[in-house]
Amino acid sequence: MASYDALRHLTIGQYIPTGSLIHRLDPRAKLVALACLIAASVVASKYSNALLLLLLTIMLVKLSRLSLRSMLASLAPVMPVLLIMASLQLLFYGGVTRSGGPNRLLVDWGPLHISTASVRVIIITWARFATLFLLITLLTSTTTASALTRGLEGVLRPLNIIRVPGHEIAMVGAIALRFLPILGEQLEAILQAQASRGVSETRQSRWRFLANTRRMAQMVVPLFVDAYHRAEELILAMQARCYHGGRGRTYLVVSTPHVSDYLTVLVGVSLVALAGVLQYSILP
Amino acid sequence: MKPYDRGIRRVVTAGLLLAITLLLTFTNVAFIPVPTPAGSATIGHIPAIIGGILEGPFVGLVVGLGFGFGCFMNPLVTAVTNDPLVIWLPRLFIGVTAGWVFMLLRRANKRVLAVMLVLLALLVLYYSYQVGGKILWLSVLIAFLTGVGAMALYHWARGEDVTIISLAIAGVVGSLTNTILVLSAAVWRKVPGIGPEVALGVGLTQGIPEAIISAIVVVAVVSALRQIGKRRRGARL
Repeated sequence: MASYDALRHLTIGQYIPTGSLIHRLDPRAKLVALACLIAASVVASKYSNALLLLLLTIMLVKLSRLSLRSMLASLAPVMPVLLIMASLQLLFYGGVTRSGGPNRLLVDWGPLHISTASVRVIIITWARFATLFLLITLLTSTTTASALTRGLEGVLRPLNIIRVPGHEIAMVGAIALRFLPILGEQLEAILQAQASRGVSETRQSRWRFLANTRRMAQMVVPLFVDAYHRAEELILAMQARCYHGGRGRTYLVVSTPHVSDYLTVLVGVSLVALAGVLQYSILP
Repeated sequence: MKPYDRGIRRVVTAGLLLAITLLLTFTNVAFIPVPTPAGSATIGHIPAIIGGILEGPFVGLVVGLGFGFGCFMNPLVTAVTNDPLVIWLPRLFIGVTAGWVFMLLRRANKRVLAVMLVLLALLVLYYSYQVGGKILWLSVLIAFLTGVGAMALYHWARGEDVTIISLAIAGVVGSLTNTILVLSAAVWRKVPGIGPEVALGVGLTQGIPEAIISAIVVVAVVSALRQIGKRRRGARL
């Protein structure tokens, strides 16, 4: 039962105001720079550029005056699984990885092969993983949900030319973020109500997966029905307030980009270029 | 209904389904224990399928976009690969294919569905004939399972509403879209540890239970929302 209580506090990254330079940036600039950094970390598959990006991300975290330790602490619950996955990759994929370059076997013992290629795969996968995790946590802890929505809408606005409804997509995101804790609370209530009626909490054997699915449906169907009723209420409320989409809409907060915002975007773009250049350089 | 009322309905439905997706992705309530190596099947992709069915492929696409984002934030996924082409791109199509299939089949009659079932069974039997050249027992097993499966499906479908059958098919197609596209993308982008053989194995052992679960949950949820087949379904769930 205690495990259900946590659902209510579900948030994607808590906003932590420290008033740093990164907090004050325009959300649009932050989103574009984040997209650039993610692209760079996807391109990077060498020691030099993957580790450079990780180092840069750690510097960004320091710049935002957030605690690196508390960011990484949220990974602790999944750490055992991650370590098992990494050790399996290390032990068994030495012969399978077909990346270019000299592939030297370090350990060759029965079915176990550890080669320079498998060590490299592990280190680079973890560097990329840490970069990505820190970047996303950095974005959500330095930007409020409303600023994020505004930023998303601003970034998607140029796509209106090819009829991508930027305002509507941002609105979907805003509604989802607003209703996430409410539906979490609802799910908790459903679980508790069913437990009080004697639905057993322990799951059946995994071979009886149809029975398990039916149990799951008993839990999920009321959640969807509740969401549907809330949707009907919200639709009525929005119609009553004459909501008519993004066309001709004006905004309460109009953000004008500063020099630092343009610089952020420039730095992001140049980092992608740097990661690309390092990828084809002679560095390891 | 005015055109922008339809727009409001789409935006709000997509928002709430996205909230459910994120709720299911970030908590451990959405894992059903199944007898496969991975140990559990997820139902995180089901809101995207339901969005596609209820409000059309575009809502399915937006919810799929959000599901991709949820996967991108999940450390267990990003520890294997952080390539958006593997994590994000395939998930856009879950709701789209489910929505299309539902739109196509909604007006079909039972005869068309029976012909489709026979064609599908013949296709699998042809595959088992191909396998028979190499491994005889596997071919016999596949043929037997196909026969039993087709009979069971025919028996089930005979007593059901056409809408319920098309919902189940849309659920299966949406779930298989997820499995097939993600694994193909993983093979295409050469994710370490996922070669073609591993992908095929994971696809068969993980994809089939997920497809069955998806069909059951989609039918249960949509028929509860639309009040379809109220008399029979209401009693069972």
